[in-house]
Amino acid sequence: MAADGALEIFPQIQALVLDKLQVVSYKWLSRNFSVSSNYAKRLLQEFAVKHCNELEVLYTLSGWLKSEPQTYCVKLASTYKLEEVKQVFKDNCSVQVYSVQACIPSDLAVIWNAEFVQAEELFNQPLTEGNCLRDNRQVTFTLFYLAENILFLTLFCGVSNLFVQRIVDGKHVGAAAPWPMNGKGVAIESKGISTVKGQPIQHPQQGSGAKNGLQSSIAVSSDNSEKVALDAASKVTKPPLIKESVSGGNTGKNKGQNVKSSSGTTSSLASLWGNASAKSKPAAPAAETAIDTSIAAATAEAQICSHEALDAANSEDEDHHNNHKRERNIVSGRKRRVFLDFSDDDDEEENVTSLSSPDVFKGKHAAQSLPKTEILLDRSKPSTAEPKGDRLSDGLDSTKGKNSSLPSDADERSASITMGGISLKKKTNSYNQGDTDKNNKEVATTSTSPKRRKVLKTRIDDRGREVTEVIWEGETADSNMPEKNISVNDAANRPPAANKVQAAGIAASTNPGKGGNKKPGKGGLKDAKQGNILSFFKRV
Amino acid sequence: MLELRLVQGSLLKKVLEAIRELVTDANFDCSATGFSLQAMDSSHVALVALLLRSEGFEHYRCDRNLSMGMNLNNVSKMLRCAGNDDIITVKADDGSDTVTFMFESPNQDKIADFEMKLMDIDSEHLGIPDAEYQAIVRMPSSEFARICKDLSSIGDTVIISVTKEGVKFSTAGDIGTANIVCRQNKTVDKPEEATIIEMQEPVSLTFALRYLNSFTKATPLSETVAISLSSDLPVVVEYKIAEMGYIRFYLAPKIEEEDDMKP
Repeated sequence: MAADGALEIFPQIQALVLDKLQVVSYKWLSRNFSVSSNYAKRLLQEFAVKHCNELEVLYTLSGWLKSEPQTYCVKLASTYKLEEVKQVFKDNCSVQVYSVQACIPSDLAVIWNAEFVQAEELFNQPLTEGNCLRDNRQVTFTLFYLAENILFLTLFCGVSNLFVQRIVDGKHVGAAAPWPMNGKGVAIESKGISTVKGQPIQHPQQGSGAKNGLQSSIAVSSDNSEKVALDAASKVTKPPLIKESVSGGNTGKNKGQNVKSSSGTTSSLASLWGNASAKSKPAAPAAETAIDTSIAAATAEAQICSHEALDAANSEDEDHHNNHKRERNIVSGRKRRVFLDFSDDDDEEENVTSLSSPDVFKGKHAAQSLPKTEILLDRSKPSTAEPKGDRLSDGLDSTKGKNSSLPSDADERSASITMGGISLKKKTNSYNQGDTDKNNKEVATTSTSPKRRKVLKTRIDDRGREVTEVIWEGETADSNMPEKNISVNDAANRPPAANKVQAAGIAASTNPGKGGNKKPGKGGLKDAKQGNILSFFKRV
Repeated sequence: MLELRLVQGSLLKKVLEAIRELVTDANFDCSATGFSLQAMDSSHVALVALLLRSEGFEHYRCDRNLSMGMNLNNVSKMLRCAGNDDIITVKADDGSDTVTFMFESPNQDKIADFEMKLMDIDSEHLGIPDAEYQAIVRMPSSEFARICKDLSSIGDTVIISVTKEGVKFSTAGDIGTANIVCRQNKTVDKPEEATIIEMQEPVSLTFALRYLNSFTKATPLSETVAISLSSDLPVVVEYKIAEMGYIRFYLAPKIEEEDDMKP
């Protein structure tokens, strides 16, 4: 069947794909050569096999998704992603060649460009002239094509909105309608739904949530995934910003996972620590009402929450805002404990609380430490990638907050807290009372601590890992002389003490210092270091 | 008797421009398979290997293997007299100590021939074993040239590090440091714009920018460049010459002392 036609068509495809760099899809092929689409697919398959080295192939995969409830889906995938996309499908899916092209275009609209132009031309032909698009027999095909197009758009997020609208508004919205609707799994379904523009979405919980905005839904549910779903849902009501809605769902999901995992960490750490953490454990992942936060405030780590808790109690409007802050505070609480852990491990003579003497945050010291801390905090806010280093930095922050909240130096407290980037102006008494034994200890030690302070330094070492060090700085902090290195934190593992000392020396001379070290070596030993080609290749 | 006729004469001009900065004198070896050159730079740090296969010439005749020693600057001087559209014919008789370059204008109304004296050059031909490289980076040649040029204004050496995500070129100098990361990018409008990384394992090597900058003189020959790296081998910077062959530059890496590597 293929033989004679293929002989004529192949050279033409080759010329189009390899010389004119056109995307040749089966649709284009079937219209251009008036062959059936199945035949066109087969031709492309054959062509792709012949020229597999010279061109890129896009496949269509269609089948039932693994997700619940079952959804029939058609996806496009490049050769590289083929296996990956296959995993999404249940059992076996059909894999056919969608198009061949010289390279995967950066602007994915290019994939549809040729056939769109072709379709336009065909429609613009005089009415008397029959063509494949006017032919009744093939109109149904066209409908299907366009429906598929819409599906593909869900996969390729890079397609411009303009294009999406063009297709969807065109006339074949109905073709994409038969999507199974899902009651609750909005996050999953949002992809499919959002492609169908303006399709009403009914969700028992989120239907109202979408209108009321984020706050109410958050107040109702502590589960993060719901918020995610809501994000997606609220976006669906907009024009079909497919890309946004899909990615919104994803990022939201990630966020949810992060929070979950962080709370997991909290609980495991809690087992190492005494009663304070035992309380904090329920508090951390708990919901965000004022009651919860006040419980949290009673614990050592969530003290910073207390201020926000007050706010939360006052107005529900701030719940959303509060929720964000709370998430951060959960993190920071956890971080602080990690930090203290380091102090215990690494500091021989100083004890846990020596991190911050009351003196530390007076006047210029606090001011000096401010910029660095803020930077670290800023970075840790979206913290996902490198939690450990950031954890430390936040730990310092919250520790600062805690120490400064000691009754003895109430003034410095508020100053340092604001400087740390956390707007905590008021302090709740519950914290001090709830955590008395620990605080007492702190008070005792902080009063005796010398006029030194620990400064947290984060840098990227030569191997690209983030190293966070806590360094003692004396009264003359400007000199940047690290007296002692408390902890070196690698992404992989913590190096032994010997390394720390070494690293402390390096902390003083980071990149510019290194450059300086290298330069003389380069100048003087240049030829000594340069390898000789004769040491690699032998004379014949 | 040797006679090679190259319709695309500008190609030979580009080849000469590509290598003459690195090598001053070299032997051109002609055999039935093609026209080749292998030469080291004077400091024996870099090596250039050129191959123009016989099929790429309109007419190729080489009765027996012939090695012609030439001063590349002189060859370049001669070839500069050829127009970009000229057809170049290289002729040499067996046992002769001269080579003749003949330039024909496209419409055949002007024919020039230049005879150049050959030289005796003691060249040591090196055996270059086929090797599997830990990482091969293909990228637009103009991009590579730009990176080398930019970095050489900051420092003298470049550290090329290849990971799955991309290739990083970094340098450090008196005025500061510079890092350029090129990510793998297969989604482009033209295949030659792609940056493709084939990597068995991550590799990081240090090279003198001076040589890399010389290599990039071959940029006009090809739109893409392939950089092959292995931790214990010289880097290979290869420019394919359309349907004819290639020009490959080998550069020995700088030996990193352990103290430098460890912080």
